[in-house]
Amino acid sequence: MSVILECKSLTKKFASTIALSDLNLILERGRIVGLLGPNGSGKTTLIKLINGLLVPNSGSIHIAGMEPGVESKKIVSYLPEKTYLPDWMKVSEAINFFNDFYEDFDTNRAYDMLHRLNLDPNKRLKALSKGTKEKVQLILVMSRRAHLYCLDEPIGGVDPAARDYILSTIITNYDENATVILSTHLIADIENVLDEVIFIKEGSLVLHSPVDELREKEGKSIDSLFREVFKC
Amino acid sequence: MLGKLIKHEIKATGRILFPLYLILLLLSVVNRVLTSIEVFSGPLNTIKVFMLSVYGLSVFASFVVTFIVMILRFYKNLMSDEGYLMFTIPVKPNQLINSKIIVSFMLNILSIIVVAASLFILLGTSKNIEMIKQIWDYIYINLKLSFEDKYAVLLAELIFMIILSLIQQILLIYVSIAVGHLFTGHKVLGSFAAYIAINTVGQILVTIIISILAVINGTSFEALDSIPQLLFPFSIVVSIIFCILFYLGTNYIFNRKLNLE
Repeated sequence: MSVILECKSLTKKFASTIALSDLNLILERGRIVGLLGPNGSGKTTLIKLINGLLVPNSGSIHIAGMEPGVESKKIVSYLPEKTYLPDWMKVSEAINFFNDFYEDFDTNRAYDMLHRLNLDPNKRLKALSKGTKEKVQLILVMSRRAHLYCLDEPIGGVDPAARDYILSTIITNYDENATVILSTHLIADIENVLDEVIFIKEGSLVLHSPVDELREKEGKSIDSLFREVFKC
Repeated sequence: MLGKLIKHEIKATGRILFPLYLILLLLSVVNRVLTSIEVFSGPLNTIKVFMLSVYGLSVFASFVVTFIVMILRFYKNLMSDEGYLMFTIPVKPNQLINSKIIVSFMLNILSIIVVAASLFILLGTSKNIEMIKQIWDYIYINLKLSFEDKYAVLLAELIFMIILSLIQQILLIYVSIAVGHLFTGHKVLGSFAAYIAINTVGQILVTIIISILAVINGTSFEALDSIPQLLFPFSIVVSIIFCILFYLGTNYIFNRKLNLE
């Protein structure tokens, strides 16, 4: 098994707060990984560091052996928690944009998914609801044949029916060499699809383990374990 | 990749600006027709006056809106939520800056060309063209008289200076927005403050350097000859230095200090 993500004593500070502190993490290919933690625990910071949207204060981060940069961005597909598409664009224009900039983008796959979710490619993003925009973004991100998918809160804003569809989309659309990082606090919804979980709390790694092992050892679901670890 | 970035940049800005330019050209045609026919007299004359005012406004709007679109595009596309997309496509941050400078520069030049063309449509009678020719000849002869064989150098320097100062203005706005982005909270206010601060510091520096040079050389800049030989080359060098500093500053912030909200 080859390594897709390696963080070595990764530290990121903002003004007065430490968002990530001395994080060591190795993720292998072909896994679906849940990045779990309460609000403000450093999930988004870690994902932004992977995508080169932040620069670490110390430590290192490597994606398939590369530092975040043009080459790593070619193989990382990122879904931020923001609606990041220009709202004057039509859905079809957003697809063209992705097709222009990502070599691994599969236009047919994108149109196919749009069709299945009954989304009109000729609609302007401005005219779509927030949840629908999120669906469009997820479709774009999952239509790439990337090596690493970073999905930051991908199911937070959509209805449960779409949630199911999206999760099945994620599972069926990534190939065995790719790894998916799913950040969320809606654990119960995604527990069944995860291979591994990472718990982070106040910028530090609390736990990183395969889900099966964890369930066996602790004798409880990830959701209840989460509630225990992060008890307020 | 730069080509693709430029293509999308033109698409994003052109959708607002090209229709505006078209309206300006149409208005100049309408006004040309209105001024050439003599049916408007008495109260009907207000139509003519009204249309001319609308034309004047749209000339003004062409410049102002071009400028505003340029600023907003940079801010919105890179520093707001859209930045999450732009900074994760596989291009270097400096390519993002390059594509934006190139397109902003082209649009500013285009707006000048469009306004010139519209003036030509409106006023381009054979009489007026003859007059412009005469004015130009007058300037040309006087330049030649004043600067002798250096007039060509002077003109070339002047054009180069205008182009450079346009680029410098664009880059100053970019670096101000990038610096403003470093402030937590008041990013727009920070950008304005950065613009004023950088501009002021720049002008003070230039004044100091000019004073020092004047003292060292013992020459004043009043001699006519010094314009093409000293003043213009000096301005050009200063402008180039500022452009480089603003560019590198923006690039540094994008590479090392990016922190999208």
